[in-house]
Amino acid sequence: MSGPIALTVNGRRRRVDAPDAERLLDTLRWRLGLKGTKEGCRSGACGACTVLVGGRSTLSCLTLTHEVAGASVTTVEGIGREAVGRRVQAAFAREGAVQCGYCTPGFVVALTALLREPGPVASAERLLEDLGGNLCRCTGYAAIRRAVEAVRREVD
Amino acid sequence: MAFSLASPRTPAAAIRLLADAPRGDVEVLAGGTDLLLDLDAGRVAPSRLIALGRLPWRTLRRSGGDLVIGATLPLADLERDPRLPRDLPGLFRAVRAVGSVALRHRATIGGNIARASPASDLLPVLLALDARVRLLGPSGARELPLPALLRGPRETSLTPGELISHVVVPVRRPSAYLWQRVRPSNDISQVGIAVARRERAPYWAVALGGVWPVPVRLPSVETILDAPVPGDAQVERAAQEAALRAPFVTDKRATETYRRRLVAILLRRAVHAVAGAPQGRSR
Repeated sequence: MSGPIALTVNGRRRRVDAPDAERLLDTLRWRLGLKGTKEGCRSGACGACTVLVGGRSTLSCLTLTHEVAGASVTTVEGIGREAVGRRVQAAFAREGAVQCGYCTPGFVVALTALLREPGPVASAERLLEDLGGNLCRCTGYAAIRRAVEAVRREVD
Repeated sequence: MAFSLASPRTPAAAIRLLADAPRGDVEVLAGGTDLLLDLDAGRVAPSRLIALGRLPWRTLRRSGGDLVIGATLPLADLERDPRLPRDLPGLFRAVRAVGSVALRHRATIGGNIARASPASDLLPVLLALDARVRLLGPSGARELPLPALLRGPRETSLTPGELISHVVVPVRRPSAYLWQRVRPSNDISQVGIAVARRERAPYWAVALGGVWPVPVRLPSVETILDAPVPGDAQVERAAQEAALRAPFVTDKRATETYRRRLVAILLRRAVHAVAGAPQGRSR
């Protein structure tokens, strides 16, 4: 299956010639220069590497690039291309939901995906529960919680 | 860690690729949320991965009294089924206990079963619900009760070239799944307990995770319960029996002693959750 594959990344068609064993995280950061997606634990435990694949939040450290051939990938650099993502970014900025900032892209992408799920907007409690896969090592959770609650009110 | 990846589109092609590969030189990739960690750690070093993501097994349907779950259905899709919380509350809770939302977008039910982790959150509830697995291999299809598949961590009775294609779960038995862990989110359970109740005797099924070497049913506990709504003394004896019989060990997540204390508490809560619920549902 080796050979270049096509991906749509943040709305742009990209061809990448990645080895079969390469992770999507490394393709995004090192082949495409999209350093917003962070490597935290590299084992699916921290959420810092969260991106959207076909609109679904996905751990790019546990995804082989070749598995998502042909798919549409959105990173934090592209999350503001539509309204919900922009609102999430604005809420994080406004509430100061950022300390060292390393976890922020993962939180922003994961929350955007949750808010874009079909059906009624989830309760703030459920949103926070479903953000449980994203860790903030600074423990800046109080401001993150404020941002979640604020943006939930805006999109509801 | 250099391997080549094959992504067959048909079950026949996947089975052929798998059967033709030298043993030990090939690994099956479902969601990859566990296998990729083993590859990183060098615990396995195959020269080829066979990815199941393009097979037509991302399915969920109801057939008679059963829920038939395609092996490569991501857990997030199972969780989003609108009828699951009511039909199979224990399974719903167990699915939500696995990893995080983003992890469940890739992790599959077939992968969780095939990895046969002692700490699996899904295996206890599938065991308690008498789930069966459908297998497809070079010599055709067969169906096994789940316990016949599970051998130990990362060990199953799958024969060379054989894959799990579907998981069959009888619906509408009240069930519950309770777990304990250090962190509530995205952590691995120290103990997980599933209970389910049938309409006729033998009424109760009780299964445990966080044990060694693989999640199990506890028949002696089930026998003690022996009534649709067991009395307090019965539940207490069952809790003590579970604490005594459960195949717990000490590992990095918890001590054996802690687990024995914990299982008695969780069993009482789980039985009360199911016994107190009207037929067909529970917490």
